[in-house]
Amino acid sequence: MPVIEVSGLKKEYVDRGQVTTRALRGVELNVEHGEFMAIAGPSGSGKTTLLNMIGALDSATSGTIRVDGRDISGLSQRELSDLRRDRIGFVFQAYNLVPVLTAAENAEYVMELKGVPARERRRRIAALFERMGIGDLMDTRPLKMSGGQQQRVAVARAIASEPALVLADEPTANLDQATGRALVGLMRELNRERGVTFVFSTHDPMVLEQADRVVRLVDGVVQSDERKTGPGA
Amino acid sequence: MGTVLKIAWRSIWRNRRRTLISMSAVGVGLVLVILYTGMLNGMLGEAKEQLDNIGMGHVEITAAGWRAHRGAAEAIESPDALVAALALPPRSEVGWRVTARCLVSSARASQGIELEGVDWTREALLSAPIRDVRSGALPAPGDERGILIGEKLADRLKVKVGSKVRVMAQRADGEIGAELYRVRGIFHALSATVSERRAFVSRTSARTLLGLGDAAHQVVIQLDRAADAEPVAAALRARLGPRVEVLSYGDLLPMLRNMEALSDFVVWIAALFIYGLVGLGILNTMLMSVLERTREFGVLRAIGTRPGRVVAQVLGESFWIATLSGAAGLAAGLALTWYYSEHTLMVIARGEAIEYAGSVLRSGVRTRFSPGSALTAAGLVYVMALVTALYPAWKVAKLPPAQALTRGRV
Repeated sequence: MPVIEVSGLKKEYVDRGQVTTRALRGVELNVEHGEFMAIAGPSGSGKTTLLNMIGALDSATSGTIRVDGRDISGLSQRELSDLRRDRIGFVFQAYNLVPVLTAAENAEYVMELKGVPARERRRRIAALFERMGIGDLMDTRPLKMSGGQQQRVAVARAIASEPALVLADEPTANLDQATGRALVGLMRELNRERGVTFVFSTHDPMVLEQADRVVRLVDGVVQSDERKTGPGA
Repeated sequence: MGTVLKIAWRSIWRNRRRTLISMSAVGVGLVLVILYTGMLNGMLGEAKEQLDNIGMGHVEITAAGWRAHRGAAEAIESPDALVAALALPPRSEVGWRVTARCLVSSARASQGIELEGVDWTREALLSAPIRDVRSGALPAPGDERGILIGEKLADRLKVKVGSKVRVMAQRADGEIGAELYRVRGIFHALSATVSERRAFVSRTSARTLLGLGDAAHQVVIQLDRAADAEPVAAALRARLGPRVEVLSYGDLLPMLRNMEALSDFVVWIAALFIYGLVGLGILNTMLMSVLERTREFGVLRAIGTRPGRVVAQVLGESFWIATLSGAAGLAAGLALTWYYSEHTLMVIARGEAIEYAGSVLRSGVRTRFSPGSALTAAGLVYVMALVTALYPAWKVAKLPPAQALTRGRV
C-alpha cells in the first residue's frame, strides 16, 4: 500500500471573494514507502500547495488524499494534528525552529508530544545529533547557528519521532551549494538507513540530481513523473 | 505541561521591555486596588467597628416604643435576667444603662444633655470616653454623687473637677426630679457631640433621680465583628419577641449602612476600571506577541501540536506575566496597606476626628491590613489575565497551519 495516494486533487484560492486562483487542477500521485522523491516545477506551479495538502496543513477544494490508506479529508483539526505528529515530519525552507528552544529541545519536541519519556528522548536525540554531525550543538539556540546547522536540526526534528514520511519544502533554497549538497546527502543516507520516505519540493538541479523520482508540476497539474537510476539511485 | 510553561516563560522575555511595561501595568493596578480597598475598609471599618467612640452598641435592645418618646417609664424590667438569657458570639461585651434627657446647670451656665446611669466597670468595655478620663477620675464604686462629664461640657458650664452641678430630669412618675452632683472626672471624646452633650453617673444614682426601680432603658451589645450585627440582631429579635425592640447599628445609623453599600459599590467600580485597564494591557501585549509569532505557532501546529496546546501555551505566557506582576503587586500592596495601617495615609479633615453618618471617623485615614481581600484582588488579576489571553490564543489556534506559516517571523 502506498504511503500517500493523491487522487483528483484540486485547490482553489479565492482572493477577496473575486479572483479565483487554481493552484492545483486535479493532481494524481502515489508515493511508495522508502521513496526519495522530488516535486519539481517553476515558482507558482503548486509545489508548496501540494506538499501542504499531503501534509494535512491545508484542506483540498476537491479530490482525496490518503495517508497510509486513510482518507484525511474528514478528519477534525485534532485528528489532523495527531496524524502529523505520528506520521509526518516537516522540513521548511526557512528552517522554522522555535527560537526559544535549544537545538535538542527543538528536535525532542515532537517526541514529547508523543509522550516519549525525557530520558529516552534525550538518548535518541544525542545519538541522532552525533549521526548527523551536530552533536556539539545540542544546547545551542537556533539564532546562534548557521543556516546549514539550523536546517540539520530541522531535519533531526523531522525524523526524530520516526515518521513514515518527511515533507521538505525547498530545504536547500536558503543554503549555499556545498551546504545544500551536504544536507541532501544526509537526507539520502537517512532515507537508506531508516527507510524514511522523503518528498521534497525543489527547483535546484543539484537536489533533483539526487532524487530517485522526479514529479514535475506545471500550472497545478503533473506534467511528468520520472523514475531514474544514477548517482542518487 | 512542563514544556508549555518552559516555552511560555522563555517567550515572554523575547521582548523584555514590552513584557516589563505590561507587568508594571498589572502590578501597579493591583497595588492600587489593594490600597484603595484597604483605605475604604480602614475608614468605614473603623467607624462601624469602633462604635464605642460614641458609646453605641452594634446591637441595642430597648423597651418597645422607648425610642419614639424616650420616656423614663418605658424601661426594660429585670435587665439582668434578660442579659443572662442572651446567647451571643464569643468575645461579645454587653451592659445595660439607665438613660435620660436632662438639663445640667452650673453656677455659670446650663446645657441639655443625655445622662447615662452606668456600671463603671462594664461601661468601660462599651464606651471609649470612660476609658479616656483626662482630668480627675471615674467616680468610685458607691459614689452616688459623682458625675463624669466631657471636656466641651465642662468648658460650656465653666466647671472643673470638684465643681458642683445640678441635674434635672422628668421622672418615671411624670414629676421633675433633681439631684446635685460633684464633677469627679472630665473625659475626652472623639465625638464633639458626646463631649458636649453626655454625662455619666452611677446606675443607682440615675435610678434614684428618675424614680426607676430595677429597670434599664438600654441593653448595649458590642460584638467582636461588626459584620455579625445583622444576624445577631435578627436572632435576638426572634428570641425576645415584641415586648422589646432589637436594632442593629445599621438600623440605628441608616446613613452609615448606606455609605457602606455606596463604598462597596465604589470599590467595585474602581476595581472594574482598574481590572479593565489591566485586562486591556494584557490583551494588547498578548495580541502583539502572538500575532507577530503567528508563523511560529503555525510551525508548532504543523509538527503535530494540537490546537488546545497552542491555546495552553498562549495562556501560559499570560500566566507568567500575571504570576510575576501579581506577586510583585501583592507584595507591594500588602506592604503598603500594612505600613499605612500603622501610619497615617492622609488627613481628610482638620482636628482629631469628624462625625460622619452618626459615627466618628478619625481625621487621619489609615488602611486596614487585610491579606484576604488582597489575595482576592490578586486572584481576580489572574482570572482577568487568563480570560483576556483567551482571545489571541483562540485566534491563533484556529488558524489553518498552512495559512499561519505564511505570516510573521519565527
